[in-house]
Amino acid sequence: MDLLDIEYQKYKLENGLEVILHQNTNLPLVSVNIWYRVGSANEVKGKTGIAHLFEHMMFQGSQNVPKEKHFKYIQEAGGTLNGSTSFDRTNYFEKVPSNYLELALWLESDRMGFLLPALTQEKLTNQIGVVSNERLERYDNQPYGLAWETLISYLYPERHPYSWPTIGHMKDIKSYTLDDVSSFFNKYYSPANATLVVAGNFEKGKVKDQVSKYFSELGSSGNGNITSLNNFPNPKLDKNVFIEKKENVQLERIYLAWPSDKAYGKDDSSLDILSDLLTGSKSSRLTNKLVYEMEIAQDVSAYQFSGKYDGHFMIIATAKPGITLERLKDEIFKEIENISKNGVAEKEIIRSKNVIKSSFIYSMQNSDVLADQLNHYNFYLGEPNSFNFDLQRYEDVTTEYLKNVTEKYINKPFIELQIKPI
Amino acid sequence: MQILERSQKPGAKGEIQFSLPEIQEFRLNNSLKVLFVKKDELPIIRFNLITDAGGKYDTANKKGLANLFSRVLDEGAGNFNAIELSDEFDSLGTNFNINCFNDNLHITLQTLAENLDKSLELFATVLTSPHLDNKSFGREKRKVITALQQLKDSPDEIADIAFDHIVFGKNNPYAYPVVGYPNGLENISTEDIGSFYKERLGPADSTLIVVGNTTREILEEKLNNYFSDWKSTSSNPQLSFPNFSYGSKIYFVHKEGLVQSEIRAGHIAEERSKGNFFSKHIMNIILGGQFSSRINLNLREDKGYTYGAHSRFNYLKESAQFLVSTSVGSEYTGNAINEIIRELNKIKKGIKKEELAFAKSSVTLRFPGNFETYGQIASNLVSLVLHSLPQNYFSTYLNSINNLNEEQIIQAAVENINTDKLSILVVGDKNLFLEQLESLNINEIIELDIWGNPVL
Repeated sequence: MDLLDIEYQKYKLENGLEVILHQNTNLPLVSVNIWYRVGSANEVKGKTGIAHLFEHMMFQGSQNVPKEKHFKYIQEAGGTLNGSTSFDRTNYFEKVPSNYLELALWLESDRMGFLLPALTQEKLTNQIGVVSNERLERYDNQPYGLAWETLISYLYPERHPYSWPTIGHMKDIKSYTLDDVSSFFNKYYSPANATLVVAGNFEKGKVKDQVSKYFSELGSSGNGNITSLNNFPNPKLDKNVFIEKKENVQLERIYLAWPSDKAYGKDDSSLDILSDLLTGSKSSRLTNKLVYEMEIAQDVSAYQFSGKYDGHFMIIATAKPGITLERLKDEIFKEIENISKNGVAEKEIIRSKNVIKSSFIYSMQNSDVLADQLNHYNFYLGEPNSFNFDLQRYEDVTTEYLKNVTEKYINKPFIELQIKPI
Repeated sequence: MQILERSQKPGAKGEIQFSLPEIQEFRLNNSLKVLFVKKDELPIIRFNLITDAGGKYDTANKKGLANLFSRVLDEGAGNFNAIELSDEFDSLGTNFNINCFNDNLHITLQTLAENLDKSLELFATVLTSPHLDNKSFGREKRKVITALQQLKDSPDEIADIAFDHIVFGKNNPYAYPVVGYPNGLENISTEDIGSFYKERLGPADSTLIVVGNTTREILEEKLNNYFSDWKSTSSNPQLSFPNFSYGSKIYFVHKEGLVQSEIRAGHIAEERSKGNFFSKHIMNIILGGQFSSRINLNLREDKGYTYGAHSRFNYLKESAQFLVSTSVGSEYTGNAINEIIRELNKIKKGIKKEELAFAKSSVTLRFPGNFETYGQIASNLVSLVLHSLPQNYFSTYLNSINNLNEEQIIQAAVENINTDKLSILVVGDKNLFLEQLESLNINEIIELDIWGNPVL
């Protein structure tokens, strides 16, 4: 039996809603997970944060669901739920006891089809307050909390859809009107712009009728299918960019960022492995050197961020008291040079591959994680059952390829952000 | 066009079948108690080792010892140095983590079934022959000291630490942060780490929880094989946890430039084994334990002061605290505190039938979902151990909840929420909230440093 080969059924309703079903009867639980193909990338400058604010409005009730009841009905049924917004997509999910599947389908379909009749200024004003506080709590009031939005604003060209943060700018968040919210709904929240995953314990002979009962009658508003964004410049740095910020923090921190490959691009998995062998464990190159041997960094981390349209590679290090960021930077670049000249050992790559492989199995424990992953693969690859394909991308990475990728992306101009105490 | 009659919320369709996992208990030859749940869906085996070696054992001038020990414990063992040991686990794809809390040290290991032997061998090596050497000790100590400096940047962590300090009072071991204090850490030596290991880390003071794809027979044989060299310690220190009583006061920690106020409001509470746990639990679900609870609906969904607000009973082994926590825009500090106090008083006056029905329903129907993952089952077993709960705790759980009535819930609020003895703590920029605190009609306002000590 191949654990990573997931059996599923995929089909479309007449209104364009894509449906993916995956049955697992081990436990009396079922997960409902919807991805709308809209995220903050679909916003424009000056109107940032609406995709995320809109996600909040989706929990404010719809024609047949009074305010505050969406959460309440699911929790009353013993379920868990939430939603989230990224550059590329917005997702909504519930996990409920399997005899409450129809409750989740009813709630999701009611807001997919009939959100606007229940929309009021009072709800919008309230959620603008909540989201403003979310921004304060998670970004403005956090140490180094604004680093991400500073970096992407320099890394991605001005008209690039990843050049502003998903949470949005405070001025924009406060500016939204009911019209903005309605037009956003009409443009992006059509069944044809969404995929519904039902994963877990359901009755095979019944589930299609249940889905159809709640979703088939929903009309496709707006244009239906949203075409991909285009007509924006790709990130490309001709020379290094240096930014320094003074903030209310104790320790100095350096951020280095390079434009890299997009999600599932041909170098994406190699860059993941590169990040792991730089900082993924105690024995990884930078952690071992900066944190263990030299003790010049309190922490160091690297990762490959990749979205539908573009990606970037980051290294972040916090200096120990009395250590300059220049020193950290020197050591980081010495290691990068070392890798691009001498490559890496087979053993290092095997370690990363083993960690990744077992994490795939561990992730199967949770039916809502699995449901979201099916939607993820379907969105980025067009094929929900891509666990083995995904794993193979990592298996295929060789020491030679890793060396080339380092040369191709990391031995290139970069953004450097230094954050220092006031 | 809307054809389906949508106005009626669909109810449950039929009944679900759920049976509790069976817990098997046995002891190893070295007297380590093992709780095992067999779970076969995936080739995963998960271990949680709970050891009576938490921060509460730290002595007055060496706060932070237990936590520092937990960080040095896996920095090299047997034939492997720190880096090699971590490599060994990684090459197996095995997750291995050590965490220190007030009461206990928790070691978790998650492995694929095919690597069970190799993972157990490494696990046992860490327990029986850790290096605890000078080099690792010095490095980890310096890391913790730097982390304590960084803590000044995090208003939520400051609030948690300072709040524990004022609520438990300085004679109670729970009043002190597990991470310790910079000056206390300076007093700790490698020898202290070695003695802590010898005195506190033994099988007789531990419980091993195992959830996974194996059988009791295989597990028992392998554990006896790998863990046989792990021998018990002799020491049994006695601690006391005096209750601390005080009137209602407001405390604040000033940090210039913060744009929100972190708020904590609460007091010491009875430990889990006292009173009716279930009525307190349901009362708290109604009050602030969930998104749809009163406090969050008021402060977030009605007023828009915050991204979220919650209440909870935080149960430790020998004591507990009841607290409300939230983070609000600075301009709402006073109003938010007023609303919190209003909610705490209001729930003592009564609850609606629907609220009780909602709380019962959400807790009981959620119950099967708490046993989905290997990790969830293991952490349910952890709470059995931590609070010495009876064997039939899970099998009687649903009845215990379903039997509760409104009077018991109100009684739980009256007996366990004391608004006259409320400690209220605000961490933020005092220039933005001090006037609001002064208008609150609470006599004393006391400024604290980030560790919860009065600023003189």
